[in-house]
Amino acid sequence: MIERGIEKEVEVEYTRLRIHFGPVHPALKEPVSLRVFVKGEEVVDVDIVLGHVHRGIESLAEGRNLAQALYLVERICGICSHSHTTCFTQALEEISGIKPSERALYLRTLIFEMERIHSHLLLLGIMAYEVGFDTLFMFTWHVRERILDLFEKITGNRIHHAMNTIGGVRWDLTPEMVKELDACLGEIEKSIKYIHDAFMDKTVEKRTYGLGVLDHSRAIKLCVVGPTARGSGVNIDVRRDHPYAAYNDMKEVFSVILRKDGDVYARTEVRLLEILESINIIRMVLDRLPEGSIRPEENIFRLMRKIQEGEAVSLVEAPRGELLYFVKTDGKGGLRRLKVRTPTFSNLACLKHVLVGHEIADIPVIVASIDPCLSCTNRVTIINRENGELNVVGMDTLRRRVRKKWMQ
Amino acid sequence: MDAVVAFLISIPISPLLSLLFEGIDRKLHARMQKRIGPPVLQPFYDLIKLLGKERIIPATASTRIFEIMPMVSTASSLLGASILLSNILSNSNIVGDLILIIYLLAMSSIALIVGGSASGNPYSAIGFSRKISMMIAYEIPMLIAVISMAFGPSPSLAVSSIIEFQVSRGLPLVASRLSMALAAAAFLLCIPAAASVVPFDIPEAKTEIIYGFLIEYGGPYLALAKVSKSVLNFTLTLLASAIFLYIPSLLGEAALLNLGLSLFLCLIVSLLIMFITITVPRTVLARLKVGQALKFYWVLPLTLSFSSIILSAVNL
Amino acid sequence: MFRVISRGRIKSPWIFHLNTGSCNGCDIEVVAAFTPRYDLERFGCLLVGSPRHADVLLVTGPVTRQMLPRLIRVYEQIPEPKVVVAVGTCASSGSPFLGSEMIEGPADRIIPVDAYVVGCPPRPEAIVKGVVMAVMSKFR
Repeated sequence: MIERGIEKEVEVEYTRLRIHFGPVHPALKEPVSLRVFVKGEEVVDVDIVLGHVHRGIESLAEGRNLAQALYLVERICGICSHSHTTCFTQALEEISGIKPSERALYLRTLIFEMERIHSHLLLLGIMAYEVGFDTLFMFTWHVRERILDLFEKITGNRIHHAMNTIGGVRWDLTPEMVKELDACLGEIEKSIKYIHDAFMDKTVEKRTYGLGVLDHSRAIKLCVVGPTARGSGVNIDVRRDHPYAAYNDMKEVFSVILRKDGDVYARTEVRLLEILESINIIRMVLDRLPEGSIRPEENIFRLMRKIQEGEAVSLVEAPRGELLYFVKTDGKGGLRRLKVRTPTFSNLACLKHVLVGHEIADIPVIVASIDPCLSCTNRVTIINRENGELNVVGMDTLRRRVRKKWMQ
Repeated sequence: MDAVVAFLISIPISPLLSLLFEGIDRKLHARMQKRIGPPVLQPFYDLIKLLGKERIIPATASTRIFEIMPMVSTASSLLGASILLSNILSNSNIVGDLILIIYLLAMSSIALIVGGSASGNPYSAIGFSRKISMMIAYEIPMLIAVISMAFGPSPSLAVSSIIEFQVSRGLPLVASRLSMALAAAAFLLCIPAAASVVPFDIPEAKTEIIYGFLIEYGGPYLALAKVSKSVLNFTLTLLASAIFLYIPSLLGEAALLNLGLSLFLCLIVSLLIMFITITVPRTVLARLKVGQALKFYWVLPLTLSFSSIILSAVNL
Repeated sequence: MFRVISRGRIKSPWIFHLNTGSCNGCDIEVVAAFTPRYDLERFGCLLVGSPRHADVLLVTGPVTRQMLPRLIRVYEQIPEPKVVVAVGTCASSGSPFLGSEMIEGPADRIIPVDAYVVGCPPRPEAIVKGVVMAVMSKFR
């Protein structure tokens, strides 16, 4: 008789299933990988894996001159491109002391708010798409086309506006454009009210109310920014707290929208109402638009070479939240160091917290509700060139390496 | 018309009609979204293209089941459609064919999810479990609504005798009794879930689980799955129009003599039913979650169909 | 018979969109091409979520190192016959990001590309035209 050994105990967790949500997934137009552990339909744990859109922009920018870097930082993100260039040029202007004219600042504000409208409309459409409401998605994007038309009229491009230059803006506003802008704003205002009603629809309500709750204290602890924070009742807005461009004159025309609930619907509603605030700001900009030149006479390359060595930190309120640039110039028209901290980078941290305990069906809705812009975010992973392996470098090593580089 | 001839004719006609219906549905959907939309013949183009594509069977799949199940699914839904169509065409009396049709339709859905989940993809496993819970939600009220026929004014479960009864009354069944109106309402409410369109397209939600059980099917298999689904939708709407809303009955006895005309009227009614139960919900509603759908179906349609049985027991 | 099949193929190109590290600009425009003003669906196009269902692969972005294996895998998952369209300057030439260590692209270094739609980002009309022309020339 053959003696049998001890029977091998095989432990299989039948109930726990690991799902790779992304990087290629129709719900997300950008690659992010969420490793989701589910029990039945319930999410038990989430791992966020980033780095699929890592293009090495910061190191690329360090090898280029300032005029080239201006166009490179615009390509960090296609949705909030104007925020990136504004932030970058503001830092450069602070280093060099070049003061843009009032008109240029007003025009920057104008494009900024138009971009906020376009970005928020885009997100509202995506939200509708995630909950399976295709018609609302189509309608929202149809409204968005109007704003894109205006972008095209003013700056010549639909997505990457290339509006900013060192010390001013590149394109001026003509009286016809003002008229058209005014007409378009009225239309958008009407459509926003319609979209707001559509989001109150019973089935949408069922998919968004009470989902992905991020309470006030947790929101502060996780350092979320922008509409995500304002949806949880955190009262922050760079436009009011640290006014830049022409926002100092706009203080009385816009209010910071706050919601207490912190769920998906609150975040969506904050965005909806912010569009109306942006419309107010644009109206005020058109009303008060001062006369004057829009940019310095000098060629950008000459200006660029004049910028002395120095460093500056600049902040703007991008559509998704606070965007921070740290710029260190080398005094020869180049960059020594560029550091970008994008709003999504702060917001992604809360994802793990808000997803756990919900159903699989809620994942895309909740992920979309924080409006992730991953192409902004991915500048962290470090790749070993010899063997091509990925290793996420710890904070200490990173600090040491940075210090070493700066010493040189 | 002879029953056998009618059956043989309906086998090729039913997929053609159902693809045409699907094309009309897509066009209407697009028009309601301010779009031009695909041509009405689009489902035929899709079908031709998919049939001519490469067959890929994933390495993780159990090949046999993965290959066979789309065929089983298409065959059973086609069989259901042709039995129904030939019954309307020929007035041949098959006892209990209503149950057979409902069974074949359920069979076709089940075959598809079994085949899909044999692919070994986790998303299709989720789609499988979701579809099963959806079937528990909608099959019960649907079946009860159909069975209430047996207690109804024409105690029969044969399509042709129900049609004959409606013709003899000169009224569609919905209008004849309150209980039948309730049963019809329950049946119509179950169509969107059985067709899995947007508020209830939970098992194949594109943005959540990437078509669920269809995720690994491509090429000819996907073509079969598509045909099976569109025939299923067609059969459901035609069934509703034949047993509850047989409009040709308004013509009186002429309806039984002029079968071509009555089939045409029947198809138009089923097109209308498709517009109301499939196109409109998928245009104006957002997707629900499994729990919410279950709750919906076990509250409203189930109450409707039970009260229909109770009412018909007291001859209302 | 052959003509029927090729007509079917031309009339129903289903699109799978893969972002390989793009800045979102092209991705938005790809999605915008399906919205009411441009409506790619009138040519029978559908934006599908699974590469198994697709005929046309739209590649946007300058293929980052992490997305490289995924690009190859998605390309292989699409059943034959298939068309690849590189959308945007990044995917066509890698332009703004050329010189970065993290970029493996442009797309045609990795997979065969049938059509290039340049622009940063290209307008939805251009994407519509690119898809339609690529399909017409490949499947005829």
